[in-house]
Amino acid sequence: MSSTVLDYTKEIPVIEGLPTAAALDETIVKPINDFPQRRWFIGLAITGTMLMIGVVSLSWLLWKGVGVWGINQPVAWGFDVVNFVFWVGIGHAGTLISAILFLLRQKWRTGIARFAEAMTLFAVLCAVQFVIFHTGRPWLAMAWLFPYPNQHGVWVNFTSPLEWDVFAVNTYFIVSAVFWYLGLIPDFATLRDRATTTIKKVTFSILSLGWRFSNRHWQHYERAYLIMAGFATPLVLSVHTIVSFDFAVSIIPGWHTTIFPPYFVAGAIFSGFAMVQNVLIITRKAFKFEHLITMDTIEKMNKIILVTGTIVGYAYIMEFFIAWYSGNATELFVFVNRAFGPYWWAYWTMMTCNLFTPQLFWSKRIRTSLLASFILAIFVNIGMWFERFVIIVTSLHRDFLPSSWGMFVPTMWDFGMLIGSFGLFFTLVLLFVKFLPAIAMAEIKAVIPGAQPTHHGNGASH
Amino acid sequence: MSAHESVIIPKKELPANIVKLGWALTVIGLVLVVLSYVTDAQRAGFNNIIGFTFLASVAVGAVFFIALEYIAGAVWSTPFRRVLEFLGMLLIPVVLLAIPIFMNFHDLYHWTHADVVANDKVLQSKSPYLNEQFFTIRFVIYIVIWSLFYFIFRHNSLKQDQDSDQKRTKKNIALAAAFIPLLAISISLFSIDWLMSLEPHWFSTMFGVYYFTGSILTALAVTTYFVVVLSEKGYFFKGINENHYYSFGALLFGLLSFWAYIAFSQFMLIWYANLPEENFWFIARWQNGWEYVSVAIVLLHFWIPYFMLVSRPSKMKPRTLKQSAAILIAAHFLDMYWLVMPTYSASPVLSYYELAFPVLSIGVIIVLFAMQAKKYNLVPVGDPKLQRGIDFTL
Amino acid sequence: MEKKLYSITAIYSYPNDIIRAAKTVRDAGYKKFDVHTPYPIHGLDGAMGLKETKLGFVTLAAAIVGAAGMISFASWVAVVDYPQVIGGKPYWSWPAFVPVTYEIAVLLAVLGTVGAMIAFFFKFPNISHPLHDTPYMKKVSADKFGVSIQADDEQFDEKKVRELLKSAGGEVEAVYYSEEFLTFKPQTFDPKFIVLLAGIALATSAGGYLYFNKVLYLPPFDWMMMQPKVNPQTMSEFYADGFGMRLPVAGTVARGFIPYPYALGAKADSVGKFLVNPLLPTKTTLDLGKKKYFTYCSPCHGNFGNGDSRMNGQFPNPPTLHSDKVRTWPDGAIFHTITVGQNVMPSYQYQISREERWAIVNYIRTLQRAYNAKESDLQ
Repeated sequence: MSSTVLDYTKEIPVIEGLPTAAALDETIVKPINDFPQRRWFIGLAITGTMLMIGVVSLSWLLWKGVGVWGINQPVAWGFDVVNFVFWVGIGHAGTLISAILFLLRQKWRTGIARFAEAMTLFAVLCAVQFVIFHTGRPWLAMAWLFPYPNQHGVWVNFTSPLEWDVFAVNTYFIVSAVFWYLGLIPDFATLRDRATTTIKKVTFSILSLGWRFSNRHWQHYERAYLIMAGFATPLVLSVHTIVSFDFAVSIIPGWHTTIFPPYFVAGAIFSGFAMVQNVLIITRKAFKFEHLITMDTIEKMNKIILVTGTIVGYAYIMEFFIAWYSGNATELFVFVNRAFGPYWWAYWTMMTCNLFTPQLFWSKRIRTSLLASFILAIFVNIGMWFERFVIIVTSLHRDFLPSSWGMFVPTMWDFGMLIGSFGLFFTLVLLFVKFLPAIAMAEIKAVIPGAQPTHHGNGASH
Repeated sequence: MSAHESVIIPKKELPANIVKLGWALTVIGLVLVVLSYVTDAQRAGFNNIIGFTFLASVAVGAVFFIALEYIAGAVWSTPFRRVLEFLGMLLIPVVLLAIPIFMNFHDLYHWTHADVVANDKVLQSKSPYLNEQFFTIRFVIYIVIWSLFYFIFRHNSLKQDQDSDQKRTKKNIALAAAFIPLLAISISLFSIDWLMSLEPHWFSTMFGVYYFTGSILTALAVTTYFVVVLSEKGYFFKGINENHYYSFGALLFGLLSFWAYIAFSQFMLIWYANLPEENFWFIARWQNGWEYVSVAIVLLHFWIPYFMLVSRPSKMKPRTLKQSAAILIAAHFLDMYWLVMPTYSASPVLSYYELAFPVLSIGVIIVLFAMQAKKYNLVPVGDPKLQRGIDFTL
Repeated sequence: MEKKLYSITAIYSYPNDIIRAAKTVRDAGYKKFDVHTPYPIHGLDGAMGLKETKLGFVTLAAAIVGAAGMISFASWVAVVDYPQVIGGKPYWSWPAFVPVTYEIAVLLAVLGTVGAMIAFFFKFPNISHPLHDTPYMKKVSADKFGVSIQADDEQFDEKKVRELLKSAGGEVEAVYYSEEFLTFKPQTFDPKFIVLLAGIALATSAGGYLYFNKVLYLPPFDWMMMQPKVNPQTMSEFYADGFGMRLPVAGTVARGFIPYPYALGAKADSVGKFLVNPLLPTKTTLDLGKKKYFTYCSPCHGNFGNGDSRMNGQFPNPPTLHSDKVRTWPDGAIFHTITVGQNVMPSYQYQISREERWAIVNYIRTLQRAYNAKESDLQ
């Protein structure tokens, strides 16, 4: 911010400076047309290595079976489900930014919506691999997961929350992909008209479907975008709600609690925004998008992280309080065991990173510091990963009968797959920022100063 | 800015017939309340809880929206913020309505009987929280938190009418940030104290969220009703258009969907797990005629307003907005009835006892609104965001 | 190549100008015109006189089809086609179908909306429009705003149009196209294309076959078919005697199994009286008995127990079940015979369950009574 005193009579501009639409195109298209910088290759080498660690772990898993993981009885869900929930959670920010913030008319979303959506797709891909491989025989999973007529006369179980998950995650992936593509169509058309080589021209012509920027099309397009946002908003909520049902419909103490749906959704938004924040700060720096993704945007992201972090904190406290209030001994045991049992370190890591450190965002100085935002966002990601670990492992490792108590110790293959999923995610992010426009050109042009007519008083416009 | 100053209608008293209606309802309500208490104090007491929690919903929900507008930097609602600021005044009748409940405490709350608690292990373990002293102290704390913030918001906003000082907005934004977490915790505990503890054995972590969502939805419905009725009669400013109406409609639509999501999730999780320590609460509400009330809530609180508001043009139509807001207000009454009354009677009952408090509540809302509209501007003329709010387009 | 006039276009630089230009063109009465802008402009729909889009109806229809279809499908599976008791809940547990129903409604609504918009509202994909690849398009895809009035508009007159657009303050330019280019049709039945398709099909099938049947099973990937467990009928190095299949531990009984106390040698007459038929000859048990009788007994004893099957004469003849001996036997004797066998008849205890054997006994009794019906049975 250039001026320290806020003037509430004026809207905060979405982008800084007064770039022309053509200059915007130039900035956004630059990374696509230029030969990538050396640091891009260094980044790709690092993420590629991580991805390879994942591939090796995966091959070993396929050869030996899920016994290579640390899972056991009673802790039958380990890193696989922890990572699944973690990545699905990350995947919530993109659609949230593009759908909910669109409906709330938060214009600052324009700069970040495109790559947040891309991150959604990549995160869901990362998540899906864990659930597929945790079925044990993934090559048969198709038959177990999808309802299709078969010679056994057997159908999937529609009353199972795991089956709901199949529907929710697939729907979410498809809808997010369509949403993303829909937003890309005008940009593909712009790229088509700016293409320098024939390959690019042909590719972008096909991808743009022949978009002509006709207002007769824009009219439907805008409505479709609104409708999609209207559907995507409850869809985002439903996906993590259904993930929470995986746990909450059971009768396991620590899993069965009615606040799970909104609590999971808030947690998902929390971690997703933190991940977007991390990628955003790096992209912004690397591609010199400082005037498009302003400090104000980053500050607003931090505010949302603070709000959702506090909601998650509210859920932690409410769960603990009701566990005591219910007068149910098992319930109370589970919660006390979480905080002071053998996995106390996981619990307190979670509390520190999710509830305590985000409170630093109350200070405007920290909110507007790039370094602090970046570090705190990493903290949030760590904390949210541990939250899923706490929910899953600590609830399972103390079964109803003390004779069935156990401990979960992850193996190197568990960590291998976790590292691999980060490798996959960041590799895809790197490829995305190189080959596709990382900022929605058509959208950002619509919000620069002077982009819209000043039509007060000419009533015929509606 | 000055070019548009003329369109604002800062101050205008409410139409006389509305004020008269308000007074009439208040008087009829009061008579019925007295009559109820004289004939059957216990039944009157339960109905008192319904009226009390309803008015608390409107009052606290209104304060929440004031804070939300500041913290979210919303502009479209700024011209109408006074409506919320007037509604927050309902905190006073809320406190008044709590007094007869306290006087009737033993008739209403099972856990206040020492002999019952002595023979019940679960209630014993809860007694550090559920006891009369702590209950009262908590109530005082909630009221202090809510009214403290409310009166500061209101003070700053009213003062701004004269000095147009932007610092006041800044101050309120900071306060709003502090208020919202406090509100979330206090209203959750409030709902646990006053509603959930009617069945002291039952528990649900979602309950606070459920009541909170219902509250803000109701406060918004009341606000929408006032805004639409008054702007049709030419209040606020000239040129209120579909953009403003659409915002109200969309927010109502979003909140009622969210309410349905919370309500369904709570039901679904308890239904699915089917644990006897939880499910009895829903079973009691699905037999002896309560099932009809339950279905009515699902229809009135969700499906009917949902389909009324689902299309984009209908969110802009003042008539649809008014009707759906009225349905939602009635639905919240029904919801409170559904939460409270199964404790009193195994099957739904309806008589003048049940009508007394709704009539009184509606009357009080109108009267308090009218009294303040007489004294203060209906539009926050000094607010720096006002002009942007008036010019607001989608 | 003959060039035809497609439209007259004009480029404007500011959003206010394009709104004014659109209004001018509409007011002049043109129908076939379009405005091209790099991003949607507020108020342009009104200026062009466009009607409210009907897209919402497609969404609504698709959502309703999705929701109704999914809830019916889930209900049909859970109640009619594959009823299973899950968690002690009724077959039709509607709250559990809400999540999938919701997801499919959203999925269809979104795909329906976008699909309908692209295919029917836009008529896309279409990458050979006259406006494509023109300087005009390159401007409006970057930062300029354009109006294009088509030559096939009823009141089109090149000169007037040019004047009109110019008067609104635009840079006017004509767009031409060649008929051939637009009417180009892909030659689906071109032999070369068919050969190409066939080649692709062949390569895909061969590749798919090799991949799914050979490549996927190259060592070390045996897809967990080799497991360190004992399969039936295989040897085991673990046990001293080398047998993988083990006898039950002495004195134990398998779950759900009731040992039969009489051996093959025991005479049917002597053990029969110790066995009591637990089943009443109700319609259910008789139907079951009939079904099992036709499956297991009738091939030798004949459909009605006369011993007149096609085995007659090829074997020691199967006896009739209507002999005095069998009719006077107690139920238990028939049961014993089915269980352990007699003469050349083998034991059926592994094929036919206990309950089914008793049901067969009941059915045989029915047959016997039918053959020796008394006067009283007819009433």
